[in-house]
Amino acid sequence: MSGAAVGAPEQAAASRSARKVILLVLQGLVALAGLVILVGAITTQGFFSVDNLKAILASVGFVGMVAVGMTVIMISGSFVSMSLGTQAAVSAIFFVWALKFGVAPAIAMTIAFGLIIGSIQGYAIGAFGANPIVLTIAVVAVLEGMVVVFSSGGTQTPPNGAYEFLNDTILGLPMSFYVMLGVVAVAELIMRRTTFGRQVYMVGDNPLAAFVAGLPMGKIGAGVFGLAGVASAVAGIMLGAYNQGASLLLTGSLTYDAIAATLVGGTLVSGGKGSVWKTLVGALVIATITDLLLLRGYSTGVQIMVKGLLVVVVVIVVHLRSQGTRS
Amino acid sequence: MSDPVDNNALIALEAVSRSFGAIRAVDEVSFELRPGEIHALCGHNGAGKSTVVKMITGLVQPDGGTVRVGGEASRIRSPQDAQELGIAFVDQELSVIPILSVANNIQLGGVSEPFFNRPRRTRARVRELLDLVGLSDLDPAEPVAGLSMGRRQLVEIARALGRNAKVLVLDEPTATLSSAEIEHVFSAVRRVAATGCGVIFVSHRLDEVLQLCDRVTVLRDGKRVDTAETSALDVDRLVSMMLGDVPPEPAPTLPQEGRKSETVVRVTDLSVGDRTSGFSLEARHGHVYALAGQVGSGATEILRAIAGLEPSAVGSVEIEGRQLTLGSPERAEAGGVSYVSNDRKGDGLFLGLSARDNLVSTRLRKLSRGPVLDMASLREAAKGLADTIGLAPGRLPEPAENFSGGNQQKIFIGRTLERPETRVLLLDEPTRGVDVKGRIEIHGLVRGAAREGTTVIFASTEIDEILDLADDIVTMRAGRVVGRHSRSEVDAELLLAEMTHGRAERAAA
Repeated sequence: MSGAAVGAPEQAAASRSARKVILLVLQGLVALAGLVILVGAITTQGFFSVDNLKAILASVGFVGMVAVGMTVIMISGSFVSMSLGTQAAVSAIFFVWALKFGVAPAIAMTIAFGLIIGSIQGYAIGAFGANPIVLTIAVVAVLEGMVVVFSSGGTQTPPNGAYEFLNDTILGLPMSFYVMLGVVAVAELIMRRTTFGRQVYMVGDNPLAAFVAGLPMGKIGAGVFGLAGVASAVAGIMLGAYNQGASLLLTGSLTYDAIAATLVGGTLVSGGKGSVWKTLVGALVIATITDLLLLRGYSTGVQIMVKGLLVVVVVIVVHLRSQGTRS
Repeated sequence: MSDPVDNNALIALEAVSRSFGAIRAVDEVSFELRPGEIHALCGHNGAGKSTVVKMITGLVQPDGGTVRVGGEASRIRSPQDAQELGIAFVDQELSVIPILSVANNIQLGGVSEPFFNRPRRTRARVRELLDLVGLSDLDPAEPVAGLSMGRRQLVEIARALGRNAKVLVLDEPTATLSSAEIEHVFSAVRRVAATGCGVIFVSHRLDEVLQLCDRVTVLRDGKRVDTAETSALDVDRLVSMMLGDVPPEPAPTLPQEGRKSETVVRVTDLSVGDRTSGFSLEARHGHVYALAGQVGSGATEILRAIAGLEPSAVGSVEIEGRQLTLGSPERAEAGGVSYVSNDRKGDGLFLGLSARDNLVSTRLRKLSRGPVLDMASLREAAKGLADTIGLAPGRLPEPAENFSGGNQQKIFIGRTLERPETRVLLLDEPTRGVDVKGRIEIHGLVRGAAREGTTVIFASTEIDEILDLADDIVTMRAGRVVGRHSRSEVDAELLLAEMTHGRAERAAA
């Protein structure tokens, strides 16, 4: 049967079965990868040690918080924010600067700062339909420029050590891990159990229908990016404390790692489906693989490549599965 | 019931069947098309019409029975096979390409087209085809984009004929056309049949079937009910063949006692760009108003304007004495307007979310304490609504995309019901693409809402629906109001005349 001689439903049937095959192969690959990881884990010395487990958990703290914001943004149908990593770094700088007013006021001010920065972006996106990717890339430039203007781009150092309790460890795990769990729990509750959370899913599933139904698009957008801003600000507070100072270098690959965790957690790129706690699982999967590669002595290049491949496979699997249910 | 086998039949289905999973979509259906006849295929949604059409056009293969083309058993495996066997298909969704010229569209996709274009020969052939469908005045070089829907339909028919079709299949060709355009399409179809071609005509519009076709085959639940000469039938007989044992639709509502007569909605001089102008209406408590008009009458724009969806709308809309700010659906919603568009999949439902989420989507504020949802009352509200619209409560967690068109429409309308905040309910084509049973149920829901005191304004192109549902009727044409009547003053003929501008004597009621 030549490709051109196939009718529409037959074609659909053909591509459906092709999709099934690809899906099966990819799911097989995922299972295989899981097996490889398991075997790798068993054969790698030191993987199943309490210390290593702690290291894995500790490493998801900062990424986890930023990924919470990324997940909410993706569920709302705004794809991704390219500025969350920068927002976290700028929040860290702001926090370290604000420490001169005392720790509690500094925390409150930084959270307010994140809320405002996020809400403004979100309102523009929700109410006026600004493209989230373009807008947030511009926000990166604005924020970085502001930092250079106000602090000449140098590293801010805290005036005293009053914030040091943020670096305490409880049961061998850093405070940032528990704070991250708190952020995940709060965000999950907001998404599941509030009017706002339901509206975010609606806007993500069908933005046009949400608009026509009279949902407050601007407010919902502001809420989504405001929430992401707060999560990034909390990440910034913990980052500033952990590094005992802050500069734009803290951004690192936070944005991309948060996107990866969100995607591996199964959030639908086009919005309407996903959840914050699954993103946490995604972050843990990535952290485990990275840790394993690290223990086995692979280079940073290999780690990045494997992370990238993982995202590609998961995105295709999620896409194919959602296509399967839609047709 | 069984007809004598006709050896002259252009195409004959002999007890063909086709199942999809556990559902037997077509069950031993026999059907034959004679040369020169126009043969209608009728049945409500899910009766098996479209599967039969797909088997004839090569989109689906039967899993039982025989298909004969010109007396020979044939397998039609693809649309290309169908084309080579002389079967041409005109889809209800037009497949002409707007930016190409009429001539190019007619050439498009023909299997016998030579690899290199031969312009002069092509031009003569295109002219001949256009004349045959009654487009003698049309310049073949004109792009299709500039043509009306009706003329596009005719170009599509010309294209089908250009492939030397002996069998022409028309699937709902008139769904989006005005009456005048329908007349053009009909005369083209008659001319085509007069050349000896057989025409299969699929339509929901029974008056058209009776007016145009020689014979009709009625399907119900995948089985053939009967094939009959249209001269021996009337609409009532045809309906009862299609419906089987469905209870008859309840009698139209007559003005009821105890209904308050105060004006709820006062629309004054509402205009939307140049598409509608000077629309006014005073709508009373608990009444159902129809905006009756053909496609392009402006009724859709009026509803959209009241719902805040037309930024260019000017004029005044008052709801219970409060002025509504136009141009914002959020403000319209806050002002007590609930709007059900004519496109449930496009801008209506949240298809990926559950039926429950869809039903409660418009009343989250009512179901929460502060910002926090009260899950128990949310579930209860969804269950109550499922009950109202006749949806099995067990299906509430399923995503809306899993439901049939009729159930989706019920969910869409259901989310506006039992909501005291809704002062006025706007419905655009409330039963588009819904089968007969679903339609009866939806009409019941709308009447119920009116009984509860909601003012309903709906737009419809379907006269039966308007007569069934409305207390008061505003007819519209070309963006303007033509007439205002109470239900008891009008009949189908008068409505059709007003909706189509003085064509009453030619339109079959």
